[in-house]
Amino acid sequence: MSMNLEREKASFEVADWAPIKISLLTKILYGGMVVTMLAAFYFIFLYAEIEKTMGAVQKIFYMHVPSAWVAFLAFFVTFVFSILFLIKRKRIYDTYAYVSAEIGVVFTIIVLTTGPIWAKSSWNTWWAWEPRLTTTLILFFLFVAYLMVRQMDGVWDKKARLAAVFGIIGFADVPIVFFAIRWWQSKFHPIVFGDGPSQQGGGIAPSMLVALLVTITAFTFLYAYLLHKGVSFENMKLKVDQYKEKLRERLEN
Amino acid sequence: MFRAALTIAKKDIYSELRTKQVLGTMIIFAGLVILVLSFAFDPANNTTKAVIPGAVWIIIVFSGILGLNRSLVSEQRNDTMHGLLVAPMEASSIYLGKFMANFSMILIVEIVAVPFLFLLFDFKVNGSILYFILVLFVGSFGFIAIGTFLAALASNSKSSEMLLPLLLFPMTSPVLIGVTQATKIILTNMEKLPSAIAWLQLVAAYDVIFFVLCFLLIEYVLEV
Amino acid sequence: MEFMYGAYSVVWLVIFGYMLLIGKRHSSLKKDIEFLKQLDK
Repeated sequence: MSMNLEREKASFEVADWAPIKISLLTKILYGGMVVTMLAAFYFIFLYAEIEKTMGAVQKIFYMHVPSAWVAFLAFFVTFVFSILFLIKRKRIYDTYAYVSAEIGVVFTIIVLTTGPIWAKSSWNTWWAWEPRLTTTLILFFLFVAYLMVRQMDGVWDKKARLAAVFGIIGFADVPIVFFAIRWWQSKFHPIVFGDGPSQQGGGIAPSMLVALLVTITAFTFLYAYLLHKGVSFENMKLKVDQYKEKLRERLEN
Repeated sequence: MFRAALTIAKKDIYSELRTKQVLGTMIIFAGLVILVLSFAFDPANNTTKAVIPGAVWIIIVFSGILGLNRSLVSEQRNDTMHGLLVAPMEASSIYLGKFMANFSMILIVEIVAVPFLFLLFDFKVNGSILYFILVLFVGSFGFIAIGTFLAALASNSKSSEMLLPLLLFPMTSPVLIGVTQATKIILTNMEKLPSAIAWLQLVAAYDVIFFVLCFLLIEYVLEV
Repeated sequence: MEFMYGAYSVVWLVIFGYMLLIGKRHSSLKKDIEFLKQLDK
């Protein structure tokens, strides 16, 4: 168990494991998140017009679509950092991939819960085996499996290597899954520049588009904030672990 | 590289023929799945005929996962994995060899279990047997290719039996969708053959993409 | 309408749940640090 820790000990200073200072970046991300989130609520509830056929229920759209976007972004980030890790073998890339995958799973849960609620109200069924829904479900299972690979026992670089390989393969799987399922069955989601409120014939009112874009920005800030926070937390944990190891050694002697 | 792979495949198949442990288990398990299916879907009922094409794949997937698990875990358990890694060959030839051994084993299981299923459920094939064999071949190829890779990945874990299905099922979902659709069309409704061929092409594309990807990435998985 | 409220509450429940999880991890780590500090003296 201590093998991995020992390897890094050379470059490690005991003194700097003090609790992280709140950096400028954290402040900016936090501020940006709060401001855009408040703006998003203003735009969703007061600015955007109410959809004609579905009424207020359509406002689920402003949470559903940005969550899906953040989930895909997070998994893409995991994919990129997995490749980077395999090339450069730096621990920080692995940490980014891990934290991003975890946030992605959280947002996929949001997509998978708001989706059925919306579906129940507008299609009158909780679930439809429809391409985007099913792809999201499979994506969820894939990245839960990714997190399971991370829970394996063993030295960190083995785990990181295997997880990176799985992250790459899993993300490469997504487009194929999507095409396979789209071919299999396509009934619901009408196509409106890729994502859609169920308006036949497609299209989206400008005020809705503005609200959507603001919410997407807000959610992206939220993602960036969570990612930054998670990564700095993992780094801190690492330092504490190393320190623990050092202390144990000293006590033994 | 190919010769090294062939040697590994031969070694695996010989040791399997000696003990007949895995192959026997796989075939018995396939029989048990058929038994459970007969409880779940009444064989006397005519509507049951509609689920037979899917049942073929249920059998292959579940008995396949048993064999995949064994093929790399046994190396790990007997500590022969290091021997393989130290041997003067690339990681990709280990993968290729394991793949060939697993693939031939699943083919044997299919040869035994599928006619057995048709016999027990009294299923008359209305389509072309030749196309059916092609579908079985292409589908098992994709399933075993990615399955061998993920088994190598999961064998590093202590609980690889539990981990492997979790990794494998979502990953192979395109293969399973394509192959069940194609099987259904070919076994029951030959008029729609072009769409079955389209499905086959999709599965074949998946096979090629993932076979190449696994080939490139296996050296990271089998690193010491 | 109630569907919308349901969906919004679920969204924030999940997000705050995740933040709570992060907070919990933080506090357990902090406990660890305190303990180590004690031990170090």
